[in-house]
Amino acid sequence: MLQRERIPLLWAFIQALVVVAMCFNDMEPGPGAGGSTQPNGDRFKIEGRAIVPGIKTQDWVSSARILVEGEEYVGFLRTDGSFAVNDVPSGSYVVEVVSPNYRFEPVRVDITSKGKMRARLVNYIKTSEVLRQPYPLQIRASGPHSYFMKRETWGWTDFLMNPMVMMMVLPLLIIVLLPKVVNTNDPEMRKEMEQSMNMLNPNPELPDVSELMTKLFSGSKGSSKAGSSSKGTRPAAKRR
Amino acid sequence: MAKLILFCLKITTLYLTVNAVFEDQVGKFDWRQQFVGKVRFSHFDSQAQSSKKVLVATENNVFAALNTRTGDLFWRHVDKTGPEGNIDALLHHGQDAVLVVGNGRLLRSWDIGVGGLNWEIVLDFGSFQSACLVGQQDTTKHVAVLKKMVISLHYLSNGHLKWIENLPESETVDYQAVYSGGNGEVYALGLGPHSHMQIVTYSLEDGEIIKQVSVEAPWLSNIQANCVVIGRGMLVCVDSPTLSLYMLDLHEQSQMTQIPLQSLGLEVAPGFHPVLVSTQPNPARQPLSEFFLQVAPEHHVLLQLNNGQLVTLRDFKPATLVAFATTGEKTVAAVMSPKNKTACSLNLFSAETGRRLLDTTLIFNMDPNGGKPEKLYVQAFLKKDDSVGYRVMVQTEDHTLTFIQQPGRVMWTREEALSDVVTMEMVDLPLTGTQAELEGEFGKKADGLMSMVLKRLSSQLILLQAWISHLWKLFYDARKPRSQVKNEVTIENLSRDEFNLQKMMVMVTASGKLFGIDSKTGSILWRHYLDNIPSNAAFKLMVQRTTAHFPHPPQCTLLIKDKDTGLATLHVFNPIFGKKSHVTPPALPQPILQSLMLPLMDQDYAKVLLLVDDQYKVSAFPSTKNVLQQLQEMASSIFFYLVDSSQGRLSGYRLRTDLSTELIWEVVVPPEVQRIVSVNGKRPNEHVHSQGRVMGDRSVLYKYLNPNLLAVVTESTDTHQERSFVGILLIDGVTGRIIHEAVQRRTKGPVHVVHSENWVVYEYWSTKSRRNEFSVIELYEGMELYNSTVFSSLDRPHAPQVLQQSYIFPSSISTMEATLTEKGITSRHLLIGLPSGGILSLPKMFLDPRRPEIVSEQSREENLIPYAPELLIRTEWFINYNQTVSRVRGIYTAPSGLESTCLVVAYGLDIYQTRVYPSKQFDVLKDDYDYMLISSVLLALFFATMISKRLAEVKLLNRAWR
Repeated sequence: MLQRERIPLLWAFIQALVVVAMCFNDMEPGPGAGGSTQPNGDRFKIEGRAIVPGIKTQDWVSSARILVEGEEYVGFLRTDGSFAVNDVPSGSYVVEVVSPNYRFEPVRVDITSKGKMRARLVNYIKTSEVLRQPYPLQIRASGPHSYFMKRETWGWTDFLMNPMVMMMVLPLLIIVLLPKVVNTNDPEMRKEMEQSMNMLNPNPELPDVSELMTKLFSGSKGSSKAGSSSKGTRPAAKRR
Repeated sequence: MAKLILFCLKITTLYLTVNAVFEDQVGKFDWRQQFVGKVRFSHFDSQAQSSKKVLVATENNVFAALNTRTGDLFWRHVDKTGPEGNIDALLHHGQDAVLVVGNGRLLRSWDIGVGGLNWEIVLDFGSFQSACLVGQQDTTKHVAVLKKMVISLHYLSNGHLKWIENLPESETVDYQAVYSGGNGEVYALGLGPHSHMQIVTYSLEDGEIIKQVSVEAPWLSNIQANCVVIGRGMLVCVDSPTLSLYMLDLHEQSQMTQIPLQSLGLEVAPGFHPVLVSTQPNPARQPLSEFFLQVAPEHHVLLQLNNGQLVTLRDFKPATLVAFATTGEKTVAAVMSPKNKTACSLNLFSAETGRRLLDTTLIFNMDPNGGKPEKLYVQAFLKKDDSVGYRVMVQTEDHTLTFIQQPGRVMWTREEALSDVVTMEMVDLPLTGTQAELEGEFGKKADGLMSMVLKRLSSQLILLQAWISHLWKLFYDARKPRSQVKNEVTIENLSRDEFNLQKMMVMVTASGKLFGIDSKTGSILWRHYLDNIPSNAAFKLMVQRTTAHFPHPPQCTLLIKDKDTGLATLHVFNPIFGKKSHVTPPALPQPILQSLMLPLMDQDYAKVLLLVDDQYKVSAFPSTKNVLQQLQEMASSIFFYLVDSSQGRLSGYRLRTDLSTELIWEVVVPPEVQRIVSVNGKRPNEHVHSQGRVMGDRSVLYKYLNPNLLAVVTESTDTHQERSFVGILLIDGVTGRIIHEAVQRRTKGPVHVVHSENWVVYEYWSTKSRRNEFSVIELYEGMELYNSTVFSSLDRPHAPQVLQQSYIFPSSISTMEATLTEKGITSRHLLIGLPSGGILSLPKMFLDPRRPEIVSEQSREENLIPYAPELLIRTEWFINYNQTVSRVRGIYTAPSGLESTCLVVAYGLDIYQTRVYPSKQFDVLKDDYDYMLISSVLLALFFATMISKRLAEVKLLNRAWR
């Protein structure tokens, strides 16, 4: 527990240091960089460790690789998840852990001609910006790759929560339930209802939509007749 | 910053739904096949009796473990290409496999169970010679590596150096081999001056030189090829000019003893170089004293060293291949001898006595379309009754691995030639037999009304019959459980499906083996091995006749050109069946410079192939009278171009009526400043649906659609990062007019280009900012079209408007291609092969030079995405999800019968086939379309109306009674 708390503290300290310094100082060795560089002619070694939380290393190391600047240099993972890419000349490289199942963030590693190393966040837009990362690299998987889209599944809840459905269902409920709640056998109530219905019903003189349609489609000669007849029958039906 | 985030969010919401794979689509229409390449070294994991692993190290720098039961991969490690990843040696001990990589630069140890790395160490510079495991007192703890100047010994457990010693007189002595017999000594063998062989004996403990002997051997030139160590440190060498064996005891003698082969009663085939094969089953012990001597291509002899005397144990004639194998304490020899023309028989012999073991015959049937057996790997195991059983892995010339069990059952085959696909085409499948019959009716000449009617009736009858039998089959299959229904595709029942989604993939591999693969399942339907293919051949595959012309078979032509001499041959074949065509291709005595397919057809509907030789003479294939006549008529409108990249010259030619050519233009790119890297035309089968783009103000910006446009990419010869550059030239291939020229300073290749419609997309490495960048050039005619009916390069007075924009891409790329659909209505995507193995489908929308920096009403109307410098890689856009394709070299796209669908094949070390829908599936019902829901809703509605109608009636009746 204590250990765990100490690491972010240390990390914050390093970051603060970076913010203060802001530019790369050759004299300042990266954490642990001093011992790990192994000058070999003019070739150097990039070291680090990749971690997939919660997964045994032997389950994923055989399908993973370390790619340095595309496929220019290739490294493999040891059975404990650590790796070393040998034979890399000085320069600046993007180091990636490539696994078909887990996602790792790439890291930019700068190697000076003397073999000093530092790791920083990859930023392709502001290429000179330095946000320090620990070296030897500690690359933690940020979870499995999300390759797939979710299918739109059809469920009753989705259907019911649809605003259109809500708009339809609520009035329906009112229509069905209101007569049950209000006693329709009460003659006073009925009178009141009828009145309100009449209020709701628009002016009976106004032509109905259906009538308009029939007028339109049934030609010119019979239209007035049909219109009048329908006008005549409608109130009759109502009366009944 | 906030703006940027907002914008990113907007993009993600906008394009979240575009182009991705759904999880339930996995394996539905896509498949992947993984390969390892031509096997160089192979070892069976014989540690445990039940082990199923065979380790292979290949010429493609791949180290893998295969399952011996199924042939599938347990794991595979793909190293860098080229000499730096080259596997020089594979040593196998217990759970560890030690590899020497990159000409002795790296020493790696792998855990073969997990497939993880145990350790990796860097060795000093110096060319690698040989390596061996060193053991003592029955345990193997060290590995010795011999280089040009030094010999070093490393611990097997952690790779640490035990000792390293400079080789004595390494300037003059050429050390070639290292050997250890398990007695605490390590021998380094080399060839010194004055035709002497130098033998240096080191102590295993501290690397001290125990002894240094020089032996006269004037005839010896290569120790590893001619010598083996047998028995108690006896060096045996073979010399072909004198036809004799030389023997030397490494411990005592300093003089070689010569044994003429004739004294053993052996005769060497004239011109044959004899070969020795020995075996050392355990590195901690001495090798066996039995060994094979091959004296003729089909003649092997098993010899034994017995009390200093060589004894012939058995004479094998005919015997093409031999191999030793050890299980437990028993060592056996497997001998392959030809049985008849198509089969070989294998037999097992006891190594100690040369006696044949009973019931060990195994028959290997050779593929008539394959190569001859080349190598034999034997896995021996002890059966329950303590007798020896075995399985063999046969490697043939066409890089095929075949794993056979007794008595000849092929457990699996791996076509490793497919790891090196050079070029491919997708050919439409033919119609079914009955449909073809019907079509054939129209192809034939008419012979009378009555017979025509009869023919029509009979063919309709056949169709009816086929339909009924199809229905019957459907019904019959439906009753069976699903697992039992087998839909095996064979060459007989191949037929085109409704939407032409299933096609024949014709693949040409570097080894010269051709494959026909069913695109739906990935099963190999035919294979054909072309022998005598030069090792550095260039291939070009062309479809001369498709399956659309029924009575005539489809026809493909493969142009095989030797890159050194320029001499070419043609192989004409039927792409559906793989059979060589009856059409005899013309002999091509002259080197070929260029080949082009014309849209012209001869009377048999075969497209005309023109070949230009180094005398600038043109020959046609097929060259019938009809073709020549058509050519004469068309000659004035046939143009072609030649590229000479060494002199930086691009030249355009026109065909004359007498089939000679005339130079009409020439563009010289100064070769001392820049060199031509690639010349990219457009694909001939590409359709562009819309002539222009509708702008926000409802005007139309017309595209510049020049079918003759070439994109020429150049790279600077100066590779200094301050001065290097990448240039792109857009040249009209007919007139030689330079339409546009662009230069990207402080950049370098490799450049990947896609040229299509009115745009060119290319990718390069920016040395200034150390990142990969994309650039897009689009060409527009302007607001008016000059001649809207037909495009002519000769009559186009206005130069097009050129728009260009660049973007940052957060990864390097391996290859790039654009999607292609039937009519070109569907929007385009770029398919980008990444080194990580993913294939990214990037909408072309993101690479649009009209993306505005400031969003306006009009750009919003046009659906333009605001400019952002960085293109994103979203894993949802990977069309191959976790089915990574290693070392993608090419992506092939082909249209299908559906406008929405494009067929994609990515090839490299692996092959991956899938379909993509750049604008989603707008022309077919989605595969998750819920038939159940829609039919249940319909039914429910129907019943609801029925019931409510009934209820209404009842109510009306009741009311009437009231």
